[in-house]
Amino acid sequence: MRVFTVLGILFYAIVLILIGMVLIVFSLNFLQPQDITNLLVYLQFNTNSRIIVGLSGILLITISFSFAQLLLGRFQKERNIAFTTASGEVTIALSAVEDLIKRLAGVIPEIKELRPDVIATKKGIIVDIRVALKSEANIPELTGRLQEITRSKIQEILGIEEQIITKIHVVKIISHHDIDKKKREQPEKEEPTIPFGGYGRLI
Amino acid sequence: MRGEESQTDLGNIRIHKNVIASVASIAATEIQGVKRIGGDLRSGIFELIGKKTLSAIKVDIDKNDEIRLEVPLVIKYGSNIPDIANKVQESIREALEKMTNLSIKYINVNVQSIEK
Repeated sequence: MRVFTVLGILFYAIVLILIGMVLIVFSLNFLQPQDITNLLVYLQFNTNSRIIVGLSGILLITISFSFAQLLLGRFQKERNIAFTTASGEVTIALSAVEDLIKRLAGVIPEIKELRPDVIATKKGIIVDIRVALKSEANIPELTGRLQEITRSKIQEILGIEEQIITKIHVVKIISHHDIDKKKREQPEKEEPTIPFGGYGRLI
Repeated sequence: MRGEESQTDLGNIRIHKNVIASVASIAATEIQGVKRIGGDLRSGIFELIGKKTLSAIKVDIDKNDEIRLEVPLVIKYGSNIPDIANKVQESIREALEKMTNLSIKYINVNVQSIEK
């Protein structure tokens, strides 16, 4: 399947390159409108060439259609985790699993920000997490803990036995200085005052 | 066909699909761990224009008068999803059979999101 995807991408790249080259050649005046007309007239009046052009068109449509279906099919297939019970099917949206992982940021105080991406494959569930950490965090220990919590929480809540692969990518380390600076930059809320609130008060 | 129809000596009894959806919705939200019924594009648009009665639960009745339900759910954080889904399916089946005497083919549960 992977070979087919690579072939499809190559096919589209070649077609787009050819179109680009024709446009460049045309803009540089190497290709005259008359040449294009002659070619089209030749193709139109020769029966064999018409058959070849027609078949090429059908082939192109078929390749495009099957390639799009492959991509879309895979996309749709990967957006859910499904299992069947006696009463019917249960599907769990992968965005729900992502919501679940986002909640884990609250469990570990060293995590400032967490962005998960979940993919379901034949091998199991692949969880890709991008995290921003606070500077005091011990990264190997924390990432190990996060992997363990993610795995156990997904298994506990989804009740699945499938393999869960957790990849963690630390994208940012935020120092205390940055956090304090952000807090200071936020304007303090002014307390609402009551007009003439102090009127008549004894000092 | 807008709903399930049965005949008595006095006439016809029709149960609208919306009634089936409402029964399913109430039965589902009664289960602990279910936050609310999820939504779809259609119900979202209707909610925007102020019509909140339309449920996102899809009800299909086939030629053999068997009912198929698609139930979108939002689950509370910390709940065991397969367990909740099973309970929801059982609760909906029980409620519909008790209230409408209809035969349920299957109840598909779709967990859309997790909320606290």
